[in-house]
Amino acid sequence: MTYSIVARCPRTGRFGVGSTTFSMACGRRNESVRPNVGISKSQAFYLRYVDPLALNMLAQGYTPQHIMRTLAADDPDFDYRQFGIIDRANNVVAHTGPGCGKWAGHTVGPYYAAYGNGLAGPQTVAGIISGFLKQPDAPLEDRLLMALEGGRDAGGQMSKGIPRPERSAWIRVVDRLDYPEIDVRVDLHDKTVAELRRVLTEFKRYRDYYCARCDHPRDAVPEEDFAAGLNAKAA
Amino acid sequence: MTYSIIARCPRTGQFGIGIASYSIAIGLYCDGAVRANTGVTLTQGFPFPRNNTLALNLLAQGRTAGQTMIELIGNDPDNEYRQIAIVDRENNEVAHTGASVRRWAGHRIGKGYVAFGDMLAGEHVVGALAAGFEAKPDAGLDEQLLAALEAGRDAGGLAGGKGRLPERSAAMIVWGNRTYSEVDLRVDLHERAIDELRRIYVDYKPSIAYYEERARNPRNAIPAMEFADMLKKQQQKETT
Repeated sequence: MTYSIVARCPRTGRFGVGSTTFSMACGRRNESVRPNVGISKSQAFYLRYVDPLALNMLAQGYTPQHIMRTLAADDPDFDYRQFGIIDRANNVVAHTGPGCGKWAGHTVGPYYAAYGNGLAGPQTVAGIISGFLKQPDAPLEDRLLMALEGGRDAGGQMSKGIPRPERSAWIRVVDRLDYPEIDVRVDLHDKTVAELRRVLTEFKRYRDYYCARCDHPRDAVPEEDFAAGLNAKAA
Repeated sequence: MTYSIIARCPRTGQFGIGIASYSIAIGLYCDGAVRANTGVTLTQGFPFPRNNTLALNLLAQGRTAGQTMIELIGNDPDNEYRQIAIVDRENNEVAHTGASVRRWAGHRIGKGYVAFGDMLAGEHVVGALAAGFEAKPDAGLDEQLLAALEAGRDAGGLAGGKGRLPERSAAMIVWGNRTYSEVDLRVDLHERAIDELRRIYVDYKPSIAYYEERARNPRNAIPAMEFADMLKKQQQKETT
């Protein structure tokens, strides 16, 4: 059980993923997002090697549609896989095999795919999408977070009629550089989506400072002083 | 305001990182810092994120850790603000602590590993990192990395002008010979980040094999919820 959104910002071209699940540490899958190439994020009964393979194929020039066919042809258990792929040309595909259990499914829209398994029902995917579309001009990371919150608030995960908690969550956004612009995680928490909002909000208060410290160390204020200034401003 | 250990396991060839910091979401700087059969690197102090890609590309070409370090320093006019460590697949280890990295800062090089940090309580903190790492050489690289962080913290950890600074984020990463990590756990914002990392690791470790098996044999897989319940019962039995 997991639900995710993979998306591209139509304004900036940034790629991003938001994901949350019952399993721990879903954000360890950082091989699933590659700057200037795209996203392939698999889940349900996923094989870890699939995402790096799909991204290598995207980098070689294959389309997401062709990659999906290639993966299907090479996997006797393709019925148990679920994934979404986006490329630089804004092609989006998603796959939900019939073995992914109830309820599982996906919706592909312009610049995004929302999908999940072990969900309360299609309303969870609908909730992800309405969260994502709520503020189309917001930064991609905020839209991804609103998408996860929308999925959670629409019922989130369920198995055997019992709601199942999200225990880990992840947002990763890449721009044109080799390393991510944003990558925040909660690996094990009772209210993981709410905790992810707390972490992302705090991280964004520091982000420009962290970038400046890397680029211009000579001019950097000590971080403990910067943090004290932030706290004074908040108080 | 960060201390780390990067290492290669001499038995398995795994590469790994353990890191803890006052800065939040420090695991972000480990992105791209490990590559299977290639090496591990990390730049901290005043980080320089592009170093990870460059270092691993050089190591992949066959450059040694030492040559790679020379290239990184030559490529960066602010190298005196950086603290850099590299371990390659031939078990060469190198470290650089620039003169302008905030004190106390330094590194200790051991067999197959580098322990290093800045804004530490003193040199004894890197000594503790190294001792923690070496304490149980057969425990597995993940356990060794975590033990190193705990020892560094217990030896005094981070210190600023006004005394001790808390570890607010931490991460541990281990790669084997695949195109993706074996272990990659993070705590991005927590008052006791290393304790929290231990808590997550203890819960996470038994599930690694389950998730791998589930992917390879989905037709016979036990549902994730049932597995989690089984695990909980087992842990309760062990503690009683």
